[in-house]
Amino acid sequence: MAILKLKQISKAYEEVHAVKELSFSVDKGQIFGLLGPNGAGKTTTIRMIMDIIKPDSGTIEIAGKLNSGQQRDKIGYLPEERGLYKKMKVIDTITFFGEIKSKPARQTQAAAVQWLEKLELLEWRDKKVEELSKGMQQKLQFICTIIHNPELIILDEPFSGLDPVNTNLLKDVMLDLKNTGATIIFSTHLMEQVEKLCENICLINKGASILQGSLKEIKKGFGSNRIRMQYEGAAEFLKDQSLVAQYDDYGQYVEIKPADNVSPQQLLKYAIDRVNVLEFKVSEPSLNEIFIKAVKN
Amino acid sequence: MNKTIALIKREYLLQVKSKGFIIGTLLLPLFILFVSFVPAFLANMEVEKKANIAVIDTTGKIYTPLSVALQESRKDKQGNSLYNVEQVTWSGDSLGIKKEELNARVQNGELFAYIEVTDSVFIKNSFAVYSKNITNFDFYSRVERLMSDAVKAIRMNESGLDPELVNKLSQWVKVQTFQVDEKGASEASGMAAYGLSYVMVFILYFALIMYGAYVMQGVIEDKSSRVMEVILSSVKPYQLMAGKIIGIGATGLTQFFIWILSTVLVTTFGLVIAQQFAPGISELAIPSLSIWTYLAFIAYFLLGFFLYATLYAGLGSMVNSSSEAQSVQWPVMMLIVVAFLLMFAIIKTPDSTLAVVLSLIPFFTPLLMFMRIMLNAVPLYQVILSIIITLLTIGASIWVSGKIFRVGILMYGKRPTLPELLKWIKY
Repeated sequence: MAILKLKQISKAYEEVHAVKELSFSVDKGQIFGLLGPNGAGKTTTIRMIMDIIKPDSGTIEIAGKLNSGQQRDKIGYLPEERGLYKKMKVIDTITFFGEIKSKPARQTQAAAVQWLEKLELLEWRDKKVEELSKGMQQKLQFICTIIHNPELIILDEPFSGLDPVNTNLLKDVMLDLKNTGATIIFSTHLMEQVEKLCENICLINKGASILQGSLKEIKKGFGSNRIRMQYEGAAEFLKDQSLVAQYDDYGQYVEIKPADNVSPQQLLKYAIDRVNVLEFKVSEPSLNEIFIKAVKN
Repeated sequence: MNKTIALIKREYLLQVKSKGFIIGTLLLPLFILFVSFVPAFLANMEVEKKANIAVIDTTGKIYTPLSVALQESRKDKQGNSLYNVEQVTWSGDSLGIKKEELNARVQNGELFAYIEVTDSVFIKNSFAVYSKNITNFDFYSRVERLMSDAVKAIRMNESGLDPELVNKLSQWVKVQTFQVDEKGASEASGMAAYGLSYVMVFILYFALIMYGAYVMQGVIEDKSSRVMEVILSSVKPYQLMAGKIIGIGATGLTQFFIWILSTVLVTTFGLVIAQQFAPGISELAIPSLSIWTYLAFIAYFLLGFFLYATLYAGLGSMVNSSSEAQSVQWPVMMLIVVAFLLMFAIIKTPDSTLAVVLSLIPFFTPLLMFMRIMLNAVPLYQVILSIIITLLTIGASIWVSGKIFRVGILMYGKRPTLPELLKWIKY
């Protein structure tokens, strides 16, 4: 079941067409990657989902209902531009963000303490936000985002500014949330993280979707496989255009893109007869590559 | 609704807990206590001090009437004179030596002062006082007055006039002021009314500027700390604006309630308490005000605050930093300042046509109508009219500022031009 459905939404500002007839839907209980280069229209899209700005045309459905003030209480949003009230106490900050999502402070108090403990911030609960380091503020803002138990969580670059330890901690929390039934939309530039966490993605560029679907399908459909080979001997056959479309020699190994009608098996057979093969590995194209290729086209 | 309350609560608690608020709120009651008690205590303490005064009288006519008058002029509660007057006697040419002695006694504090009066008092109208302290105006004006009386009496006697009769005939007349209102005439001091209305309007003026600026500052801070985006993903812009304005308005009200309460406490119980410590005190410097004055103050503060605060909120949403705000806030500042300056123009004629018209202009109403009410020159219909006009203007101001606010708070970078602003309002 889709928790979020965007149908043909468009938004134009004076000079720019920020979003053009964008459609995608996010199924419940998964981590969904919303990707795109800078200025692609990700933030505008998220702002429309959050009802901060209205689309010029198109509809947005949340949990099967058209977007409205009530619906967005079901969403937790961590914007890329972080911001908290500097003079407020940590614990008050969390309950305040719960309150503006229609959860009374007394209902969120206990959960707030649990989250502070989980994210190693408990000793700071009565400190002012301005006393926290940047990374700690980041984690605090994450707690504020999810304190009201949202069904849908939108995280815009959640890992920026976090050290590897905290990145890992947050990643585990995201997976925990997913396992308890929440849906997460994950917007980022970090393709590695997307490859690890997301099942489905939507890649947008210049306000329009250029690639969407399951990550596996996309990778499969995205051109030929790559072969990494390590060998001893003279590999004259690499220059044979009927076998190898393209190759890059890195010294220690070569990366080979076989010709269209040549399978990796055929290539391996051919190679074994001519050189001493030490390593032969078929790998999928990385999302990074796909991203760059898709955006360049 | 609950969301707006959460926003109001956050804003209010933040303001009320701030050091600036606590200091500012306590300062005024302390000041009231100071001006009401300290002068009374000081006056009370001074009464106890005795002073020795010597008089050199070469005319032979002045000493007796002057010493009597001096001793009569200041007494303690038991009726004993606080001036000890002695006559200086000398023989032949020893006056110079005598004066050296007197100087020495003034030096060591035994004498407060000595007076030298010669025939020149009748010719040149002057006499001399020698003392360590030449800035005690109270003492000098007293001596001057008593000496003049003595000299006048002698002159009259010598001209064959009866000093008592002359005094009676040349008596000054005094004005008594009555204020006329719906309840008839009642005795009231014009000066006190002037002074008080100045003070109250001053407080109102500063409160409007200060709390208006707080609203603008708050909006700019939210914008520059980028907290705006998260907040707006949960609440509507108008809820955010209302939360900010009502929260800060409530802070202002809190401050005034503390001030009014302390003023009322001082004027009601202050005298009794003060008398425990200083029985000589018979009145305090702060006159008490009627409940209507306080109500009018609160009402016109609220009207003025909501009017200016909505404008300030709109302004704050347009800019990115406080320094940028300086350059856009002057039109609003000007309105308040002009209202304040107009007050001086109409305080002497609070019921003139000019005063009536000016005080009905909504941006001037809070200060001017309140001042006119303080001076008690306003028919009820004008009060009601002023409230209705201001409320309508507040409505318009909320509408315009709300539109600007909605777009402005998410705009970063370039400040909007006037045509852009108009587009925001239409949008």
